[in-house]
This record gives sequence, structure tokens and C-alpha cells, in this order.
Amino acid sequence: MRKSIQAGIGLLALVAASAAPVAAQTPWLHVRVEEAKDASKVSVNLPLTVVEAVLRATPDLIESHGRIHFDREFDRAHGRHGLKLADLRRAWKELAAVGDAELVTVESDDENVKVVRKGDLVQVFVDHKPRTDKEGKVKKGAEQVRVEIPVSLVDALLSGEGEEANIEAAIVELKKRRGDIVRVQDDDSHVRVWIDEQNTQTPAPAGK
Amino acid sequence: MVKLAILLGVPIAMLATVASLGVVVVDVREGGPDGNHIVVPVPLVFAQAALAIAPMAAPVDKLRVPHEAAEHMGLAREVLEALAAAPDGEFVRVEERDQQVVITKEGRTLKVHVTGKRENVTVNVPLHLALQALPGPDGRIRTAALAGALSSVRFTDLVDVRDGNDHVRVWVW
Repeated sequence: MRKSIQAGIGLLALVAASAAPVAAQTPWLHVRVEEAKDASKVSVNLPLTVVEAVLRATPDLIESHGRIHFDREFDRAHGRHGLKLADLRRAWKELAAVGDAELVTVESDDENVKVVRKGDLVQVFVDHKPRTDKEGKVKKGAEQVRVEIPVSLVDALLSGEGEEANIEAAIVELKKRRGDIVRVQDDDSHVRVWIDEQNTQTPAPAGK
Repeated sequence: MVKLAILLGVPIAMLATVASLGVVVVDVREGGPDGNHIVVPVPLVFAQAALAIAPMAAPVDKLRVPHEAAEHMGLAREVLEALAAAPDGEFVRVEERDQQVVITKEGRTLKVHVTGKRENVTVNVPLHLALQALPGPDGRIRTAALAGALSSVRFTDLVDVRDGNDHVRVWVW
């Protein structure tokens, strides 16, 4: 009898031990939007499994097997010859060999844009300068956009063939990612997108 | 004495049987001193029977969702299944000056809670029921499956609306 109870407790402990890490490691995508003017706060917390299903629910965007096909018809119809994904893939491979580098720098009257590869991250910095009217009054304040994309995520996105971006592989990579992905800050609003393993919005340490 | 027992016993037994199979209760309380209180109990078995015979009584096209909607049902199913399998948590919270909307998942139920200045609305969506309510790949609503799923939502508060002094509640007992 005692052995049976011990065996039962052992079995329960084994089940609990095997179940606990699964629950703890569920990655959650969090979105937080705060607008001071409207005093509104929006928070969205979704398990990545649901995000994956939602992404599949956009058939116009994802045509088959989780791959985005770039809009060749649109380009043709509008006489445009944008950057082909295959070209981007080739360029990305060459950049991978270079290592850390400032990939893009654009400085203009309105904004500064910088794309940097640093370690395992591609960082995008966009700084919109405050806009003023003819009288010099500020029409719109400064705006800062910070986007951090893991290199492995770009690798996964570009792991398709031809003009296809591989969303399924990208989601697999996102599941491994923890920390901030996007931060947008302007004079009125604040947007933050991040991934962690909590089902509520206890902020993750900034930047990671 | 035996006759009286039979006279009382049969309806009581019938009521007990119907009640044991479940009852959907719509409870409306109007505010104010002259406010009405209306309670409409609908035995679940009646609703299930109506759903079961619906394909025979209603024209086929009435039980079919439009083609444009039908082609997205597989994906809707996928999303609902992902939600059902997802861990519990607060999925959405919108806070504005006068209103708050919170969507949470607890077990296999999606709870939508809207709080305003005057009104307070709670809607509980059993994911299992929502899944069964989705039409099949041919666009036909599977009323028999829906009828079967109704019994799984017993002892659930489906809707609770408070608007000022008015109160409407729908629950399955």
C-alpha cells in the first residue's frame, strides 16, 4: 500500500515536473500603446501560438505554407522595379560576412535614419525632427522609433526561395526571442512591442 | 392519496427531468419602482431539439454562411483552436477615460468585460461552443453539433448587462 502511494506521488511529481517547463516557456507577444492626449492605454498579450494562427488567417498576405510572396503583379501594374527578395537575400548573405557595421545612414531635414548591425541584432533608429509651421510653432513634436530585429529572425525570413519570405521559420525564431522588438516614442504616444514568458504586462527590462 | 401523489408527482418528475437536462434562463430586471422583472426559462432540450430539426425545417441556403465568409472558416477554426489551447491570461485591455474593455481567457472560456460610466457588460464565450458554431468547409452550419455542444456550457453565465438600474442576465443552468 505504502509503495503504491509512493509510486503515485512519484508519478504525479514526474507529470508536474514535465508540465511546468512547458507552461513557463510559453512565449507571449505583448503590445502596449499609450496615448497621453486621449488618456488611453491599450495592452495586448497573446501567446505566440495564437499570433501564428492569426498570421495564417491572412490568406491575402500569406499565400501558401506560411510564405509571403512579394507582389510582383503590383510592381508590374505600377511599372515599379522594387528590391527583389532574392537580391535582398544575396545582400544579406554578404553583409553577414562583414559582421558589425552601420548599414544605412540617412540624414535629412525631417529625419535621421540609421540601420546598424550589432552582434545578433539589426537595430533601426529613426528620429523624426519636430515639425513647425511658418510662425515657428511646433506642429508635431519629435518622434523616435527604435526597432530591434534579431539577425536570426532575418535569416529565418530570408530562408525561403525565390520571392518568398518564410513566415513560419520567422515565427519559430520569434519564439526564441525575449525582450523588446519595437519601441516608438513621440510627444503624444508610446508604443512598445516585446516578447516574454509572462501572461501579463509586467515590463521586461528595457532593451532586452 | 395515491391519485394526488400521481397528479403532483408526474409534473414534478417531468420538471425535474427537463431541469436536469439544463435550462437557459433569460432574466430581465428593469430599474425604477415600476420596473418589470421578466424571467424566461427555456429548457436546453427544446433548444437542442429545435437545432436538431432545423436542417429539415429550414431551406438549405438559410443554414449556409455566404461563400465569401465560408472560405475563411478553416482559418477561423485554427485561430479558435489556438485560443482554446493557449494558456490562460489577459489578452486585451483597453483603458480610456470613460470606458474599459478587458478580454481574458479562463479555462476554455473567453471573457469580455466592458465597463463604462453607466453600463457594465460581461460576455462569456465558451470556445468549445464557438468552435461548434463555425460552419464546416461547405459553409453549412452544423446544427446537430451545435445542439450537442450546448450541454457542455451548463452552469455558465453567458451574458450579464447592467445599464443604470436595468439588469439583463442570460445563463445556462
